[in-house]
Amino acid sequence: MSVKVEVSEGGVPHDRIMAIGIVGSLVAIYLTYLNVLTGTQIFSFFGGIGAVFAIWWGTDSIKTLCSYGIGTGVPSAGMISLGSGVIAMLLATKLGVAAPIGLVIIAAVLGVILGFLSDKVLNMNIPVMIRQLTELTIVGALILLGFASMATGSFAFIDMITGTTTFFGIEVATYSASLIGGSIIAVIFMLGGIAIQHPFNACLGPNESQDRTQMCAAECGFLSMIAVAVMSFAFLSVSAAMLGLLVAFIGWIYTYNEYIKLSKRDAYDWLDAKPIREPKGGA
Amino acid sequence: MSALGGAAAGGEGINPTASVIGIVILLVALGITFFIASTGGAIALIGIIIGGALIGFGVHFVPVGGAPAAMGQAPGIATGVAMLAAGAGLAGLFGGAWAAELGFAVALGAGAVGGGLMMAITCMMVNVIYVFGMGIPSASGKVDKDPITGDTFPEYKSQGTEGHGLPFISYVGGVIGGTLGGLGGTLIYVELLAVYEAALPVIYNAPLEEILPVAVSLAGIFAVGMFLVNAVLTAYNITGTIEGPHDPKFKRFPRAIIASAVASAVCGMVAIMVVAL
Repeated sequence: MSVKVEVSEGGVPHDRIMAIGIVGSLVAIYLTYLNVLTGTQIFSFFGGIGAVFAIWWGTDSIKTLCSYGIGTGVPSAGMISLGSGVIAMLLATKLGVAAPIGLVIIAAVLGVILGFLSDKVLNMNIPVMIRQLTELTIVGALILLGFASMATGSFAFIDMITGTTTFFGIEVATYSASLIGGSIIAVIFMLGGIAIQHPFNACLGPNESQDRTQMCAAECGFLSMIAVAVMSFAFLSVSAAMLGLLVAFIGWIYTYNEYIKLSKRDAYDWLDAKPIREPKGGA
Repeated sequence: MSALGGAAAGGEGINPTASVIGIVILLVALGITFFIASTGGAIALIGIIIGGALIGFGVHFVPVGGAPAAMGQAPGIATGVAMLAAGAGLAGLFGGAWAAELGFAVALGAGAVGGGLMMAITCMMVNVIYVFGMGIPSASGKVDKDPITGDTFPEYKSQGTEGHGLPFISYVGGVIGGTLGGLGGTLIYVELLAVYEAALPVIYNAPLEEILPVAVSLAGIFAVGMFLVNAVLTAYNITGTIEGPHDPKFKRFPRAIIASAVASAVCGMVAIMVVAL
C-alpha cells in the first residue's frame, strides 16, 4: 500500500478535465469527417486539435497516477499509454465512421485489463491504478487517431495504408507511400509519447501548479502538431497542409507565451539573462 | 527510484485469485482468436504470448539504477526500466526484423544477438563512465560477494549508499536480459508478420510485393507497442530499481510472467483482429 504524496491544491477537478478532454477530442476528430462530407481536405487540422485535447487530459491522468509512488518514473506511464493506445487505435480505424467512438470502447476494455494486471496481479495496490490506466490507454489511442487523421485527412484504415506517388508525372496509387506503409505512424507514436510524458515530468515538484502543468501540456501538444503538419504535406493538398501548419504554429506561440508567463508567476525571482557581450573597443 | 520520493509500492508474493482471473482472460483471448482466425491465428497468438513472457522475464535481468545511479548512490544503469528495456528490446527487434526474410531461426537469433549486443555495449560504456569519469568502483549493495567472480564488495562500498557502479554479475544480467528481450520482441514481430503477409493480399486483392510495406510496418508498430506494454508492466513489478539476477527483487518474476503473458494475449488478439475481422 502506498502513500499519496502530493496533489495540487485547488484547481480544476480531474473529472471535469476528463469530461472536457474526451468530449473535445471526440468532437474535434469527428470534425475531420467534414472532409468526406464536403469533398475537401481543409478540415484535417481538427485532428491535431483533438490530439491536443487528449494530451491535455492525459497529463492530468498521469499526474493523478504518479502522485502515488509508482516507483518507475513518469515517462513509463506515457510509454504504456501510447503502447497500448496504438493497438486499440489500429483496430478502431477498421470501423469506418464509428472509429472514434469504437476506439474509446476498445481502448477502455484494453485499459481495464492492463490496469487489473498492474493493480492486482503485480500487487501494486494503488487505488486509482485501474481507472488511470484505462484513461491513459484511451488518451494514447485518441492522440494517435487525432494525429493520424490530421496527417491523412481521414480516420479510415484504407486511407492510412494507401497513398499516391508521382511516377514520371503520372499519379500512381501505392501502398508504400502511405501513413502506415511509410511508417509515418512510428513517428507520430513518438511525437505523441514525448508530448504526453514530458509536461508533468517537467513541472512536478512541491511548487507544481495545475494551470502551469496543463499549459505545458497544450504547448507540447501544439509542438508535436507542427511536426505532424509538416508530414501532412506528403498526403494533403498544399493549402490544407498549410492551414494545419498555421493553426499549429499560432497555437504553439500562444501556449508557449502563456506558459512562460505562468512560469514567471510561480518563480520566486526571474532574471532575464542576456548573452555575454564582448567589451567594446577590444581588450 | 520514485519520481516524487514516495514509498515504492508492490508487495511480495503472488495474488492467487487475480492470477487465476488473468489466466482465464488469457484463455478467453486465445479462444476468441481461434474462433475468428482459426488455427493459424491461434498458433501465432501462442508465439506472441511466449514472446511477451520472454520480455517480462528478460527485463528482470537488466540492472536498472534510475536517478540514484546517476548520482553514484545505487548500482546499475542510470535510467528507468521502461527506457532501458525499450532501448535493448527495440535494438533486438530491428536486428530481427532485418533478418526476417532469412528464416525463422535466423531472425530469432539475430534479434537475440542484437538485444544482447546493445546491452553489452551500454553496460561497458556505463562502467567506463562510472570508473574513469566519476571515479567510483563497482560495488553491489545487495550481496557481499559477486556470485560469478567471487569479488568482495563491502570494503569498496561508500557509506550511505546502496552500492555503486556496475559489478560483473549486473553486466552478465544485462546481457542476458537484452538477449531475452530481443528474442521476445522478434518472436512477436515474426508471428505478426506471417499473419499479415498471409491476410493482407487477400483482403485488398493486391500482390504481396506491393502490400509488403504495410505488413512490415503494421507488424513493427504492433511489436513496438506490445514491447512497451510488457516492459512497463515489468517495471511496475520491479517498482523502480533492480541490480540484476542476484537482487532479492528478482524473485518476483513469476507474477510478471503471468501479467506479460495475459497482456500479450489480449494485445495480440486485437492485433490479429485487425486483419481477421
